[in-house]
Amino acid sequence: MDFLANLSLGFSVALTPFNLLMATCGVVIGILIGALPGIGPPSGVALLLPLTFGMDPTSGIIMLAALYAGTMYGGTITSVLINTPGESASVVTCIDGYQMALQGRAGAALGIAAIGSFIAGTIGVVLLMLVSPALARWSLAFGPPETFALLLLGLTTVTLLTGESALKGYISMVLGLMIAMVGFDVISGDPRYAFGVPELMDGIDFLPVAIGLFGIGEVLAGAEEAGGSALVKARYGWREIMPTARDWARSRWAIARGTVLGFLVGILPGAGPTVSTFLSYALEKKVSKHPEEFGQGAIEGVAGPESANNAAATGAMVPMLTLGIPGSATTAIMLGGLMMWGLRPGPLLFEKNPQFVWGLIASQYIANVMLLVLSTVFIPLFVRALRVPYGILMPMIIVFCITGAYSLKNSVFDVGQMLVFGVLGYAMKKLGYSPAALTLALVLGPLAERALRQSLIISDSGAGIFFTRPISVVLMMAALAAVLVPALRGLAAARRRAAVRAA
Amino acid sequence: MRSADRIAGAALLALAVGFSAGALKEYTYWGENGPGSAFLPFWLGLVMAVLAAMLLVGAWRASDPGPAWLPSGAGLRRLALVVGASAAFVALLNVIGMTIGTVLFLVVLMRFLDRQSWPVTIGVALAVAALNYVVFTRWLHVPLPTGPFGL
Repeated sequence: MDFLANLSLGFSVALTPFNLLMATCGVVIGILIGALPGIGPPSGVALLLPLTFGMDPTSGIIMLAALYAGTMYGGTITSVLINTPGESASVVTCIDGYQMALQGRAGAALGIAAIGSFIAGTIGVVLLMLVSPALARWSLAFGPPETFALLLLGLTTVTLLTGESALKGYISMVLGLMIAMVGFDVISGDPRYAFGVPELMDGIDFLPVAIGLFGIGEVLAGAEEAGGSALVKARYGWREIMPTARDWARSRWAIARGTVLGFLVGILPGAGPTVSTFLSYALEKKVSKHPEEFGQGAIEGVAGPESANNAAATGAMVPMLTLGIPGSATTAIMLGGLMMWGLRPGPLLFEKNPQFVWGLIASQYIANVMLLVLSTVFIPLFVRALRVPYGILMPMIIVFCITGAYSLKNSVFDVGQMLVFGVLGYAMKKLGYSPAALTLALVLGPLAERALRQSLIISDSGAGIFFTRPISVVLMMAALAAVLVPALRGLAAARRRAAVRAA
Repeated sequence: MRSADRIAGAALLALAVGFSAGALKEYTYWGENGPGSAFLPFWLGLVMAVLAAMLLVGAWRASDPGPAWLPSGAGLRRLALVVGASAAFVALLNVIGMTIGTVLFLVVLMRFLDRQSWPVTIGVALAVAALNYVVFTRWLHVPLPTGPFGL
């Protein structure tokens, strides 16, 4: 069975001492990054990406994937203890997690989140392993029109689900595509929008942009507020962390539902972990026998969404690896990393780099086990990290952003560019635009342009080529729906407001 | 927020028009084999112009000014200090080098923005600079910018 052969190949890669070490580092740094307010998963991955350039790509992605899983859990710690989400996928956890902490059950909340994350992550990897090769085989039949339609779908769905208004999401996305146009055109060789500046002729790299938008942008948003928040005091012994029989009876189906829901939402291009947590919370409240307890410290309200975000983080790997389309801002940055290592994500990755793909999958199992061990045994240690004052943390993050942006090409120009995008990221965050959509568009832009132009070259009916081939027409329709649905919803809302005003 | 939307809308509209016009003027829209290097930029500019116009119309219709998005007073001063210090650090990177620059930058922000005690400030600044040096220069062989004394 080649399935088992692949998996054992994966474990032989993932279990080398260096890769194990990288997975451990990834999980620990991930939990810290997730826990520290003001620095979330995308900035964490962007900041650590430069560290992986000297490594073998397989070790690099193992560390980044472990980091991603770690951040998903780390965000929970702040949600429960200081009612401030460490990252957006833990916003929902604040609702009941913080209430549990106030009732002296912080340990139980963190414990059930760790167990739920472990179960969801592990089942997620099994699903990842089963779904990806089939999807990769299917997408092998893709020509330029299908590729373009798929990229278009990825771009429209990310705007559908991020940011406060759909319009601002689209503006962010198109701005990202415009930035992607800067530099030498691959087909004609024209140095587009470079204005004679040599550094611009090579194009605008996504890494300084991502570090700026997420890292500096988040730091600046935090900089204007002085002071920190109060930590809820709690005990983290074994007895406090392990769920009671009653907790477990209440949580187990929440965990199961969260896992399935999270994985499905994670697979959708653009949707990602945050959305899955909101859906899971709503679902748990709906199926619960005592919905009135939600918001008062219901353990299902922590178990469901926390399982969902880990399953979604794993699910987001599916479109990234098989189709080259990231399912979240964080995977968009990982995708950029893959391209920098010279790997072309997509169906061929499974055939050409099996040790890479299966090593990554196997290391996800290992990362989940480590996450469970580290997060239950070392909770007090991570809690202590929360006491580091923001005034010390913030300048440190800026220094790491500067070094990270510099190390890509040893260029001060890149650092300046990073800083400019940092200020832009701050403004975007404040005004309700979507840095995630911009980053995604910057990564996907060149791929989309090439597919578009190749399609139009082989087409004898102009844009008709996208609507005459079966797979591409379905994808185009889905992309169109992703544009129209929020637009129509906005119109309906405007009409309702007008009706209210008239009445 | 509304006035911010107006400014953003106007700026994006100008950018979009310049982007499309520049593409048509400088590059080829349609070559012998198919779409040229101006093809996608032209359409992107057009789409952005439409989106920016929608933003402008929405901002114009709304009568309330919306909440302020920039902080005022102390918040704004903190923000300006952080951005200014970072910009100065980057501008002087090639002159003073990464290591000395890091120490100075951290001292300025921790001591004067956050009023940390001197021992904490100096300790953290030296530790971060050393960590950066070891990881990037020694381990990853990234030649970080050096200033006087080769640091």
